Amino acid sequence: MRISKLLQMVPAALALTLSAPALAGDGAGPEVPKAIKGEECVEPTSDMRRNHMEYLKHHRDEALREGIRTKQYSLKQCLECHVAPEGDPQAPQDSSEHFCMACHEYAGVTIDCFQCHATQPKETASFHPLVTPGMKAIKDQAGRSGELLNQFAESHASKTRTGAIQ
Amino acid sequence: MSEDTNLKRREFIGNGAKLAAGLTIAPGVVVYGLSEASVPDRPAEEPASSERRWGMLVDSNKCATGCDKCVTACGEENGWDDSEPNSSPEQKAQWIRKVELRHKGTGKSHSLPMMCQHCENPPCVDVCPTNASMKRADGIVLVDRHRCIGCRYCMMACPYKARSFIHETLTDQEPHMPRGKGTVESCTMCVHRVDEGREPACVEECPEQAILFGDLNDPDSAIAQALTRYDSTAVREDLGLNPGVRYRGI
Amino acid sequence: MKKTLYTQIEGGKGFWALLAGFGVVILAGLASMYYMEHNGHWVTGMNNSVVWGTPHVFAIFLIVAASGALNVASIGSVFGKKMYKPLAPLSGILAVALLVGGLAVLVLDLGRPDRLIVAMTNYNFKSIFAWNIILYTGFMAIVAIYLWMMLEKRFNKYSTSVGTFAFVWRLLLTTGTGSIFGFLVAREAYDAALMAPMFVVMSFSFGLAIFMLVLFASYRMTGRPLGDYVVRRLKNLLGVFVAGVLYFVLVYHLANLYATEHHGVESFILTSGGIYTMLFWVGQILLGSLVPLAILYNPATGNSRGWISIASVLVIFGGLSQLYVLLIGGQAYPMKTFPGYEVTSSFGDGMIASYSPTLPEVLLGISGFAIALVAVTIAVRHLRALPASLADGETDPHAA
Repeated sequence: MRISKLLQMVPAALALTLSAPALAGDGAGPEVPKAIKGEECVEPTSDMRRNHMEYLKHHRDEALREGIRTKQYSLKQCLECHVAPEGDPQAPQDSSEHFCMACHEYAGVTIDCFQCHATQPKETASFHPLVTPGMKAIKDQAGRSGELLNQFAESHASKTRTGAIQ
Repeated sequence: MSEDTNLKRREFIGNGAKLAAGLTIAPGVVVYGLSEASVPDRPAEEPASSERRWGMLVDSNKCATGCDKCVTACGEENGWDDSEPNSSPEQKAQWIRKVELRHKGTGKSHSLPMMCQHCENPPCVDVCPTNASMKRADGIVLVDRHRCIGCRYCMMACPYKARSFIHETLTDQEPHMPRGKGTVESCTMCVHRVDEGREPACVEECPEQAILFGDLNDPDSAIAQALTRYDSTAVREDLGLNPGVRYRGI
Repeated sequence: MKKTLYTQIEGGKGFWALLAGFGVVILAGLASMYYMEHNGHWVTGMNNSVVWGTPHVFAIFLIVAASGALNVASIGSVFGKKMYKPLAPLSGILAVALLVGGLAVLVLDLGRPDRLIVAMTNYNFKSIFAWNIILYTGFMAIVAIYLWMMLEKRFNKYSTSVGTFAFVWRLLLTTGTGSIFGFLVAREAYDAALMAPMFVVMSFSFGLAIFMLVLFASYRMTGRPLGDYVVRRLKNLLGVFVAGVLYFVLVYHLANLYATEHHGVESFILTSGGIYTMLFWVGQILLGSLVPLAILYNPATGNSRGWISIASVLVIFGGLSQLYVLLIGGQAYPMKTFPGYEVTSSFGDGMIASYSPTLPEVLLGISGFAIALVAVTIAVRHLRALPASLADGETDPHAA
């Protein structure tokens, strides 16, 4: 892990040196698009600027390998607030208008997240089944669904028993 | 079963009122889609636990030759349908496929869907040099593409031909299902849905309800009940891999 | 026997021309790699059925040959055969160089070669690949130390013990390479513990064939005397190794032919497999084994360096054919997912998979040889590794 971390720091360090004048405050920073949702990020902006990669990396391993599905540090969730979905008038037209890429291109730090991850949220995300009222109503009945399920399995089974099988 | 059985879940989801109606008219449909087994009640901050083992029981007697609704559903859900314009048919990803069988001696034929069998002892996990191939605590076998170096050893090792290599640059991935060039992928048992308390897309879309999904470790689950009641087999049972996907009628 | 005098080769025009020639091949390989990685592997012949293609054939050939190339040194150090001792430094250098060439090809054909650091930092100790990463890097380190012990007079006394260790390590290494296939239960053509010893014997044969060609070429190009005694001993040894490989191939196929369950794959390779059948009988058996044996043991040809070189080239060709048949033929033959059934699907179940190598894959593979040979050329230029003379008087204990 050590070596990989060190190696990852090389481009970052290089970028820092190269962009030193910009950081020194001549006003020519990257034009990072404003978030489309919300007023505050999950951590203070200064913290996010410095540590977002650590948060993301930590979350990614937990989410994928352990199944911890919290949203706070999920990349998908970053995009939900920071990038407008396709078709939206605010949707980025090229990488310089994309929240992540605008800054990363400016800083010269290459990331490969978006070789696999979607660069934009999908509009359908708002139709999350657990948040629609209908689904909530049904979820409330989960208490008796086990019972109903067994009934169903029974009918399911008797149906196959009488059907043309084996 | 009434005609409503064939109603697609997606339509339910998009329309709460219709869904409520569905509950009264055809309770079986709703119950099937929202069984206890498919609602894990696991809080987001809690990791997957080995107390559960997700599995599927495919009834090949119900699975119709020529029907590939499960395949289409999976492709749409996970974005692998039509995502590789440059790749040849042999190079394109297929997370699930329909397999037609005909016994050489008796001529008896079967039709069934084939996908990652989510083995208890997965050869792909054994051979992966970087631990990118992994089995989650609840038995779902996944590829951690952050670690995959694209060596394809897992594809050599899998006896089910369940894995695909991505031969070209991809765009427009589904936000819930990152995939990309140079890495290996396969059925995830719709882990993103399972973690939300939903069933895998193939299970939901099968018009014959030939695929039963649930927790193999829960003796009360429909799948565990069905498994104690009926004969079922694992594909290549002789290999001792104890797959999480089992089949009836073959 | 006199004390062997080792000298560096000259750095004249010939040296640079040689480097330039290999350099062109390496550049072609790198260009191919860039082309494949930039576009993705859809531009290659590989697909989801045949996932390891031509680059793997070359890579595995080179890796297997690498451990075999060290044999010459082992015979000298471990088994105390005096004639082989002067050849030991070249043998060690060639072994490391071939391994580097093979690994380069293997790595450059990965889906994500940029993530190699991941492979270095995340180990799954149950993976034979992960074992091999350790075996390969360890091999390079041990052979480097072995070379140092041999080339530095003060340390010569340790060369036997280090050489023995290197010999054991190389056996493990080839066992590891063979086990990549031998431990795969999924595919009928592979699943056999016999793979490990078969790969060891294959390494003896391929490695020695390459060693002989490199030895002949370097002595010819540098105008150094190379006596018939060395040549005769080496070619007889090569014959034994070629026959050894043939024996293992025979046992492998006999075992498969005996078991009814393997008749399908056997008839595919031996009779109906098209290019694989052709490569097996013509490439591997006839040109790669029987013809070289005839050349090496026929007195009319066995004493001619030209013929011996041809035999060595044929052994290399036969080795590549053998790995092509085993590796790609083994994948082309469908897996037996449902024994007893005819299987069809949209994913090639039950069908012979198609694979035809593309130019970039072949170029990448060949560049592995070029990488190895460049490394050897540079090494013998800067290290005193080649004996100034291998004339009979220097090597033959019975010579006057």
